[in-house]
Amino acid sequence: MSDKEEPEIRRIQELESTNLARDEIRDKVIETKKQVERENDLLAERINKKFVEHNIKTFDIVGAIGAGKTAIMEKICEKLSSKYRILVICGDVTTRVDADRIERHNAETVQINTGRECALNAYHIFQIIKHKDLNDYDVIFIENVGNLICPSDFTLGTDKRLVVVSTTEGEWVVEKHPLLFKTSNIVVINKIDLAERLGTNIQKMIDDAKKIQPNITVITTSAKTGENIDKLIEVLGL
Amino acid sequence: MNETLEKIENLISETNINTEKLREIQINFMKKELKALHCVDKFLGDFPTFIEPVHLGIDVKIGDDVLLGPNVYIGDNCEIGDYCELVNTILFNNVSLGENFKLENCILVKESKLKFNNFTAFGCVLSGQTDSKENLKKISF
Repeated sequence: MSDKEEPEIRRIQELESTNLARDEIRDKVIETKKQVERENDLLAERINKKFVEHNIKTFDIVGAIGAGKTAIMEKICEKLSSKYRILVICGDVTTRVDADRIERHNAETVQINTGRECALNAYHIFQIIKHKDLNDYDVIFIENVGNLICPSDFTLGTDKRLVVVSTTEGEWVVEKHPLLFKTSNIVVINKIDLAERLGTNIQKMIDDAKKIQPNITVITTSAKTGENIDKLIEVLGL
Repeated sequence: MNETLEKIENLISETNINTEKLREIQINFMKKELKALHCVDKFLGDFPTFIEPVHLGIDVKIGDDVLLGPNVYIGDNCEIGDYCELVNTILFNNVSLGENFKLENCILVKESKLKFNNFTAFGCVLSGQTDSKENLKKISF
């Protein structure tokens, strides 16, 4: 470290610690965060009411980057697009790669690029449905930004939340993110075609999920081979 | 520029704006044509949140924590301040907005410079080069 860098680092450390330690600001930060969550929940309730009024089934799909959210969506749309009018809302930091992939299977898509935000919130969904005629849809899927932490703070007003985890993320992934599994209804363990080669303990993942939330439904799938996708559709009630 | 946009630009440049016709053309543009113009990779500044379709012209400067879309068209050389939220809105070339503007169903005439902060508007044509809300020209449609 050079002579110049050291005082600069010390200055930044000091600045950060004084900012975090100021009591009046700390209370304000916590109160603001709580208010944001409260307002998000209120808006989510309103959204859910609208969906119920229009008799639309809605699902929020969350999971880590590369877990297979889009691959599963592709399979579901492939099987259901002739039966239902589907809208898929895709959240990503940038690009419309996911939306393009899903659009190929005859589902209508809307892409949200969140820029710096790490999850979708109810306000985003509200803005979209405000400008759509909800009579045009039977099922709405919301594919969240790839992340296992932030989405647990924001409900989106959907009927059910699915978490997609994959065998490549290791058997501890469920145990390490309890909050998200607490707020979810269905766990999809994807890429089971690779489980044997990777030596992932799937039973541990299932047990962990049940321990966090006893009522949770767990399904093991492979979006690549199509294994258990029909079972997943059955669980979704479609 | 797109043909329909030119039509809109001509309509709002008239002294007595035909609001009914304007509304009809605007709705049609948002519903049918904007999707084909979706383009969000040409911007300077912070990463905003986009809900498609959004069209950004060349050299558009965007502030912190901005939400654009759905249905937003922004012309070349526009400037958008921090915390703005634009929905169903058209900004023609060289428009600049201050901080914390919440606009829905609005059209901003080209070269407008709104150099003030905290402003909310719904369903109107805005124009002027001003630093106060009072001097802003506002026509509802």
